[in-house]
Amino acid sequence: MSRIRSESRRVSLAGAVALGLLLTGCGAGDGAGGGGSDTLIAYTGQSGDYQINFNPYSPTVIDGPGTIFEPLFFYNVARKDKPEPRLGTAFSWNKQGTELSVTLRPDAKWSDGQKFTADDVVFTLDMIRKNPAMNSTGYSGTAKAVDATHVKITFDKPSFSDGPQILGRSWIVPKHIWSQIAKPSEDVMKNPVGTGPFKLADFKPQAFTLEANPGYYGGAPALKKIRFVALSGNQSGADALKAGQIDWQTGPVPDIENVSKNYPGYQAITVPMNQTALFTCSDAALGCTGPQTDPAVRRAIYYAMDRTQLNALAFENTSSEISPGFALPERDKALVSARLTDRLAPMQPQLAKADGLLRAAGYTKGSDGVYARNGTKLALTVKVVSGWTDYITAVSTLAEQLKKAGIKLTVQQVSWNEWSDARGRGQYQLLIDAVSQGPAPDPYYPYSYFFSSRTTAPVGQTANPNFARFRNARVDAALDALKAIDPQNTAARQPYYDTIQTEIEKSMPYIPILTGGTTSEFNARKFTGWPTEDDLYAFPAVWGRPDNSQVFLHLKPAK
Amino acid sequence: MRYYARKLGFYLVALWAAVTLNFFIPRLMPGNPVDILMAKLQQRGGTVDPSVRRSYELLLGADSGDSLAQQYVSYLGNMLHGDFGVSVSSYPAKVSDVIGQSLPWTIALIGMATLISFVLGLALGTWVGWKRGSWLDSLIPGTTVLAAVPYFWLALILAALLSSTLHWFPLLGGYDVSLSMGWNRPFISSAVQHGILPALTIVISSVGGWLLGMRNMMVSTAAEDYILTARAKGLRPSRIMIRYAARNAALPSVAGFATSLGFVVSGSVMTEQVFSYPGIGSRLLQAVENNDYALMQGIFLVITVAVLGANLLVDLLYGLIDPRTRANN
Repeated sequence: MSRIRSESRRVSLAGAVALGLLLTGCGAGDGAGGGGSDTLIAYTGQSGDYQINFNPYSPTVIDGPGTIFEPLFFYNVARKDKPEPRLGTAFSWNKQGTELSVTLRPDAKWSDGQKFTADDVVFTLDMIRKNPAMNSTGYSGTAKAVDATHVKITFDKPSFSDGPQILGRSWIVPKHIWSQIAKPSEDVMKNPVGTGPFKLADFKPQAFTLEANPGYYGGAPALKKIRFVALSGNQSGADALKAGQIDWQTGPVPDIENVSKNYPGYQAITVPMNQTALFTCSDAALGCTGPQTDPAVRRAIYYAMDRTQLNALAFENTSSEISPGFALPERDKALVSARLTDRLAPMQPQLAKADGLLRAAGYTKGSDGVYARNGTKLALTVKVVSGWTDYITAVSTLAEQLKKAGIKLTVQQVSWNEWSDARGRGQYQLLIDAVSQGPAPDPYYPYSYFFSSRTTAPVGQTANPNFARFRNARVDAALDALKAIDPQNTAARQPYYDTIQTEIEKSMPYIPILTGGTTSEFNARKFTGWPTEDDLYAFPAVWGRPDNSQVFLHLKPAK
Repeated sequence: MRYYARKLGFYLVALWAAVTLNFFIPRLMPGNPVDILMAKLQQRGGTVDPSVRRSYELLLGADSGDSLAQQYVSYLGNMLHGDFGVSVSSYPAKVSDVIGQSLPWTIALIGMATLISFVLGLALGTWVGWKRGSWLDSLIPGTTVLAAVPYFWLALILAALLSSTLHWFPLLGGYDVSLSMGWNRPFISSAVQHGILPALTIVISSVGGWLLGMRNMMVSTAAEDYILTARAKGLRPSRIMIRYAARNAALPSVAGFATSLGFVVSGSVMTEQVFSYPGIGSRLLQAVENNDYALMQGIFLVITVAVLGANLLVDLLYGLIDPRTRANN
């Protein structure tokens, strides 16, 4: 999610520019969009021209995963659904989680007419394992084709948690084409051949078009054409939306609450997904310095926050409540631990609690109203990317709120590059960012990314992505145990979730702020079948892959 | 001949210095491409599994293990071959392809706009300078105000007025993307139509500078003795204005024009942002935001060569146009 908010609301100033400009009436063109009424125009936030790349395993892929190249199953990260069949029809694990059997659909075809078989799946998985540069899922299994529609994947150790990556994020490619490519990680796939519901129709640097695949096993989708356009960023995205030139974009627009009024025919949906938090460099033993290395300070900040005010001032009320155990309050409702002190973080400040925590930690309030210990003031710096206006507003508001609690917070705006460097190396005290989710609707993934001691590093070396330098033996043990328990077996998993959540709440390496909402605006007059809050069949972000392909499959041109 | 040799030598040294700075400055930036890529993916709800980072490191070859000196030597060698490397932010596209795709748009739009602005400014300046003291003098504060207004603001106002409200011009983009690219009439007319508004904003904001410079030179040239002589000979006023006054008054502006041609390449960042116009400016922004050293170096090199080349050309031409500069050397 790009966070650049529109800063300049345009004013129409007639007189000022009345210069007798040499303007003869040129007719209005169809602008960035163009195309007929059955073409969906999507803006993914691409700033600047597209560079052709339809290799689903390339980090700079412009589209294809889900639309052209399909996974075996679709995992809905927005709701606790069963994985939906795509190229696979069923899968099962053995008891130990070392053997995964997948049944494939018999009727899928590649868009060049060849038949899709188990050999393609085995070839794809083998290719991923043999090319470390493509193995972004950490896949280490061995795949074997049992027959044309059955594949068996074996692992050395219990690998339940790798399932969603293998089944949901491995894009199956045709063996008869990819086996001819010398370096599959470096090919841009100018003419992608896949099994998916769409095919590439045409590419230009400013836009490319996908068209319905008539040979798709599920029947050609009702949506006939999708055009992805390139603009210069969020501001021009909002302009194009206003001009009715794009049908679907994900990102904030001014006055989000009144989208259907300000943009006739359009609707907006906000889905809580990523948890906004103050990341702290928390572990002094790993080289962090500053007052935030003391858990009491982190917890005091947690209690001193006025989340209702933050939501109103910084996030246009698109954020929602957060659980200090970092399970999503709505999606993971059943998993939020009953052993937490607060199941949800307080929306109102609790200054008495903050004061009590700081006093117990040996801080005393000075004459200037700021706490100090051993002559050192309780002063912290928070880094925020310049231009991310909602985050900047949030931390500036927070600085005012913390002042009341006797904590001095200084906001430091830095460039995107500098910020990501400081975050990786742990050279910060506090920074504002979001804890993101994994490939399946399961908090196991954020826990294993952000809270495992395996994903951190001493200050000065790049950690990824445990930027808070959080290390906790109990959390590590619980994560290891979870890896070996079938995700279906929720009763057996819950005690470990309880342990993780209570340990995180105690230590608070990421001080929870709010659950951030991802807002999308879409043209409901031109197309029907969009996800709604009641039927959230996919995470409705236009840049979400393969989530957007699932939405494309549901859309129908309105008559 | 020595004059030209010395000039050429000077430009070679300047080029080397620029190329060297071009190597070191991007490397002083904080951050590295892999982390930027990871942060971007994370924002997009991508998986931030550590194995993702490892695979990207391998893919992009972020850490080759070469020392800075080794990198510098191989960089110089590659530059000589015209090999700018692979762009990290458009991986695996070659930098030369990325630049090649964007550069024509910038040159066409900004180049045309600069040329129009220069010719228009000179013509108006000649006229205003010749008729000094008349009502035409009020053109000067008018155009200077427009030049002083921040460019992006002016561009946004014009876009809001002429595109969003009056619908005279398309708002965004460089062409109607539903047309097929090439030398066909619908595409070209669409590209021209999309280019008028951005070009107009550039002309409006820059014509004032040319006008002011030319007008002032005209005023001082008009006081020269040879103008008086020409008048005394009874030549037609229009002939005196163009052949005698304007030709001499234009000399400094010609030098300025060459320099501004060099900056055509770099001057497009803002225009491209406002109008979502394809071109080198947004590529430069993309390169800086992604710590894409290779692309940055490629674009900076193009800019450097353009500026130096334009200056060299003027230096050489100046020797022809104005023999005084040669004689003094």
